[in-house]
Amino acid sequence: MDVGSVLSGFAVVFEPQNLLYCVIGVTLGMLVGVLPGLGPAATIAILLPITYNIEPTPAVIMLAGIFYGAQYGGTITSVLLRLPGEASTVVTALDGYQMARQGKAGSALGIAAIGSFIGGTASIILLTLIAPLVADAALEFGPAEYTVLALIGILLVATLGNGALIKSVTAAGVGLLLATVGLDPLMGSPRFTFGSDQLADGIDFVIVAMGLFGVGEILYNLEHRLRPQPAVLSFGRAIPRRMEWLASRMAILRGSVIGFVLGVLPGGGATMSSLVAYAVEKRAAKDSSRFGKGAIEGVAGPESANNAAATSSFIPLLTLGIPANATMAVLFGALLLQGIPPGPQLIVDHPDVFWGVVNSMYLGNLILLLLSIPLIGVFVRLLRVRAGILAPLTVLVTMIGVYSIRNNAFDMFLVIALGILGYGMKKLGFEPGPFVLAFVLGKLLESSFRRSMRLFDGDVLGFFRRPVSAVLVAVLLITIVVVPVLRMVRSRQAARIAREPSQV
Amino acid sequence: MTVDQSAPAEVSEQPDEDGPLRGGPVLGAVAGAIPVALGLATLWYARGLGFGRLGDPGPGLWPSIVAVLLVFAGAVIAARARVARDTEAFTRGTAAVVIGAASLAVYTYLFELVGFEIPTVLLLALWLRFLGGESWRVTAVISVLATAGAYALFIIGLGVPLPHLIGG
Repeated sequence: MDVGSVLSGFAVVFEPQNLLYCVIGVTLGMLVGVLPGLGPAATIAILLPITYNIEPTPAVIMLAGIFYGAQYGGTITSVLLRLPGEASTVVTALDGYQMARQGKAGSALGIAAIGSFIGGTASIILLTLIAPLVADAALEFGPAEYTVLALIGILLVATLGNGALIKSVTAAGVGLLLATVGLDPLMGSPRFTFGSDQLADGIDFVIVAMGLFGVGEILYNLEHRLRPQPAVLSFGRAIPRRMEWLASRMAILRGSVIGFVLGVLPGGGATMSSLVAYAVEKRAAKDSSRFGKGAIEGVAGPESANNAAATSSFIPLLTLGIPANATMAVLFGALLLQGIPPGPQLIVDHPDVFWGVVNSMYLGNLILLLLSIPLIGVFVRLLRVRAGILAPLTVLVTMIGVYSIRNNAFDMFLVIALGILGYGMKKLGFEPGPFVLAFVLGKLLESSFRRSMRLFDGDVLGFFRRPVSAVLVAVLLITIVVVPVLRMVRSRQAARIAREPSQV
Repeated sequence: MTVDQSAPAEVSEQPDEDGPLRGGPVLGAVAGAIPVALGLATLWYARGLGFGRLGDPGPGLWPSIVAVLLVFAGAVIAARARVARDTEAFTRGTAAVVIGAASLAVYTYLFELVGFEIPTVLLLALWLRFLGGESWRVTAVISVLATAGAYALFIIGLGVPLPHLIGG
């Protein structure tokens, strides 16, 4: 590893402009984690046009901050309202809310923030050590390897998502199809453009992300909005007691490791790791009956895990150019917009961007720790912001943002159409995540597939003959077998978690 | 307290009266029919693009592979329509979604015609008062302030050439 470029990354972080965007990013992340409705993927998608005008490093630092910041913010609603803002904080609600009812909300929030900080920071250190090695190995990859890698990425995201497997695969299929609109990547002939000049260049990723995640989510929330807001439980300061810290330090350690390992896997890394961490803590405890009744380890473990996973999920994106989850797919788009293709070349060609972004996460986590302990009251007050006011403002920023990409009203109509598609998909049980991910990887997958087929002269078995691609094919086959098993374990776990409160 | 086991993500204290209502088998079948139709249409269209051969794939080959996957997956979804419980019924709330989407389309149309200020105030007012149920006072204050804010951010701050009336 080149220590010099790691250190110069810190110099990049402390440039005033980058510091500012890091603060903006993590604060926005906390906000969207706390506020109902929009998740981090939608927020990043909506802000993409605005980042056009910012330089690559600060832009990506800010967008990354939104992603891991939302993990901190989501905890607040889980503990205080029992309404998990993010899927990855669902298990936190279980013991966290019970703690809050016993008047220990401050301890729960405090330990969650400390656990998140430790998990996140440990994960950055591991990322720093591992990412360059992965990128180095990936430099040797040819079209055959990328074909298999893209397939693994799409398959894992489709299968580790929350919806029915077959529906996620279908959503991914439609995403792949939409990616073929425009000019043929090898021949240059138009496909599926239906004679429209506007479609000849293909559909911009930003518009797809903004339509499905942004407008689609806003429309979906219009239908479900009229829910009464439960009362916020009051609490003192968000600081755990000494005893509580002693009880949860091992949980934080275990959670961090689980989170890092599972986060690297494409798919529901953060969600999956929080569930696994909860299960591990329950097993490790001397008296597991405390769980579900306010056990602090049940907050500390999963919260450390989901933050560690959020950080390590950057590895596949930054080293292979394969996004590990829906939010990473949007960040993939952000990097492309800036003219920086994510992949093994990134660390060599743009060390300032790579190390600047990675090292900014140390600072980001530190700021988030400050935001979640001394300043937590400010964010708790935001729980009172009404969705009725938030929705019109986000929709306005989205629509004008879309226009600003190409100064083109056609794109606005396209984003509305994609928003309706996203809404319809959610109603019919299809997740937008696999769709957007497949759309992102579609061009890469098609062109690598076609190049490989030419290389192998039409022999599909060629994928098995190159050593690296053969290993990857083996990984692909293993995932096809392992993933359904993992899903089964997870749904049993989730069912048990759902049942638990009834035993109180 | 009982919690619906098939929806582990929902851990709110009170059972939601207006929470998502499950769709029936018809909606489930529609969810399968759409990918099948899309796949067949793609196959038909891709035929005209040329498949080439495996050793030298033409522009139509890849879309056709994806289309076959869609037809197959859609058929499986349709076959499971009776047992699947993952669709959401359309309810009275759907009207708000239709109005919301239509208002965005009208906004986009007016936006180029008369500049962004007036349509923006109207769009915000519609969403705040009628879709959001805010009071007239909140509606008036926020729609005007937010329009001014958007003007400041996009036109003055970011230099986006939005069609606008004020300030030429």
